[in-house]
Amino acid sequence: MEYHLLTYSLLFLPIVAILYQFTPARLRWIVLLAADYLFFWMVSKWLIIFLFIATLTTYGTGRILTYVTEHSTVKGKQLTKKKRCVLALGIAITLGMLIVFKYLKIFGLSLIAPIGISYYTLQTISYMTDVYRGTIKADTNFAKVALYLSFFPQIIEGPISRYSQTADALFAGRSIEYCNLTYGYQRILWGLFKKMMVADRLAPVIFKIFGDYEKYDGAAVAVAVICYTIQLYTEFSGGMDIILGSGEIFGITLPENFRQPFFASSASDFWRRWHITLGTWLKDYIFYPLSLAKPVKNFAKKVKASCGIRVSRFVAPTIALFFVWLSNGIWHGAGWTYLFYGMYYFVLIFIENITEEPIGKLITKWNIHTEKLGWRLLTAFRLFIIINVGELFFRAPSVTQGFGMLGRILTNFHISILNAMDFGLDNYDILLSMAGIFIVLMVDIIHEKGISIRDKIASCRLPVRWGFWYAVIFFIIILGAYGAGYTVVDMIYAAY
Amino acid sequence: MEKLIEILEEILPGEDVKNCTTLVDDHILTSFDILSLVSEIEDAFDVEVSPAELTPENFNSAASLWEMIGRLKEEN
Repeated sequence: MEYHLLTYSLLFLPIVAILYQFTPARLRWIVLLAADYLFFWMVSKWLIIFLFIATLTTYGTGRILTYVTEHSTVKGKQLTKKKRCVLALGIAITLGMLIVFKYLKIFGLSLIAPIGISYYTLQTISYMTDVYRGTIKADTNFAKVALYLSFFPQIIEGPISRYSQTADALFAGRSIEYCNLTYGYQRILWGLFKKMMVADRLAPVIFKIFGDYEKYDGAAVAVAVICYTIQLYTEFSGGMDIILGSGEIFGITLPENFRQPFFASSASDFWRRWHITLGTWLKDYIFYPLSLAKPVKNFAKKVKASCGIRVSRFVAPTIALFFVWLSNGIWHGAGWTYLFYGMYYFVLIFIENITEEPIGKLITKWNIHTEKLGWRLLTAFRLFIIINVGELFFRAPSVTQGFGMLGRILTNFHISILNAMDFGLDNYDILLSMAGIFIVLMVDIIHEKGISIRDKIASCRLPVRWGFWYAVIFFIIILGAYGAGYTVVDMIYAAY
Repeated sequence: MEKLIEILEEILPGEDVKNCTTLVDDHILTSFDILSLVSEIEDAFDVEVSPAELTPENFNSAASLWEMIGRLKEEN
């Protein structure tokens, strides 16, 4: 079962919500946990055992770390060493399962992985590391840890939450309030709109051209790449809307994964707005620990002695940044294209970091007003190119074919052919997808200005707000890309 | 405290590091600067800053940094 299917939002979710509401508050966590494991079972069957092992390992590691801290006869560095061994063992078990399921295909052994293993494994690591660091206390309640790792709305594609963000709310058993229920379903509707009106409608263009790019002109390849970027955004952020809306119904605030990424000012800023929870996870559990690792710090000191602080300040962050982007690429899958994608952003962000100061000086010297529309449009255009080139390689069947597609765009680009081009969409689909993209863009502009559309609509009179939401429902039912002539496209990020 | 101010002034030339209380919140101190600062603090005050200490609350002002250094010294 996937979140965009109506069996989820019109059957599974309401049944869980009803059972949850009619259960006494102190027992509601049992309903949620049962729903989590039932959901997992429906998707991954017996592979549920691996989720259970990961949960047991996470819980056990937390408890052992607490025991070692409280009862150890040694202190200081020796205690840290002991705790580090416990943490390393815990991480080795959960990460080991991820590696076996996800990366053994490099050696020709392909296994079907438990659903969401890439996401819940990162949550196991963050829980164990936070207990090790002392930023959270290990929970004595196994059910609470199990709830945190398996919450059904987020199990398939995140967001990757921290224990401190969701565990208490999951266990609290708050009543479903009218406001939460309506806001939650409104957000689910918006997610379905993005998925069915835009993402799925663009799918045929992408399948057709990415699958056989050599047959097409560079302009058609460029259109397919732009369509893929839009598809990925509307599909993944739409999925997040459904997931966060589901959490909202139960009064559980899951962390946001997107914040208008196309309005970013740079590649680094883009990654602070796109798949936010993966970015912050990599920052907290790879970037900072690596930057503060002794060998890295010693190397930075050597550079400082010979080149000064202006140069040495880049050493530790750059080394850590390399591993962050390597991990980002590898996390997406065992493919050279993902590795290339990670390295592409590493190089871009590295260049941004070292040129930030001189460019800032030039902007001041030439008296450029960065807040003016012209400059902002130029920045947005530059970033749009950067993002699309990245997504081209991300989606390309191989790095070589990615370069082939890029070469085709740069050397064989004839915009005039687009009129006669068959993209696998009729005029009706083209018109509707463009209307959908326009609406998504407008909503993002409004959100970027800090305005909450749902609050605005909620403040309208009853006939207006109900009229609006009914219109959205009918819009999706009548004009959504499903049924005869359309293929339901699986959630892209569920595969990572 | 003077030593800490000196370090901050070297990393953030031209900033009012003595009085600013939003060094992280206002993006004056970037993640790169934070790492340089940690390295300098560790050398100057003989403390070890763990990743868990890298929070905006600890790095927003000279005073909060000074408090963190004091705490780490005690822990040592």
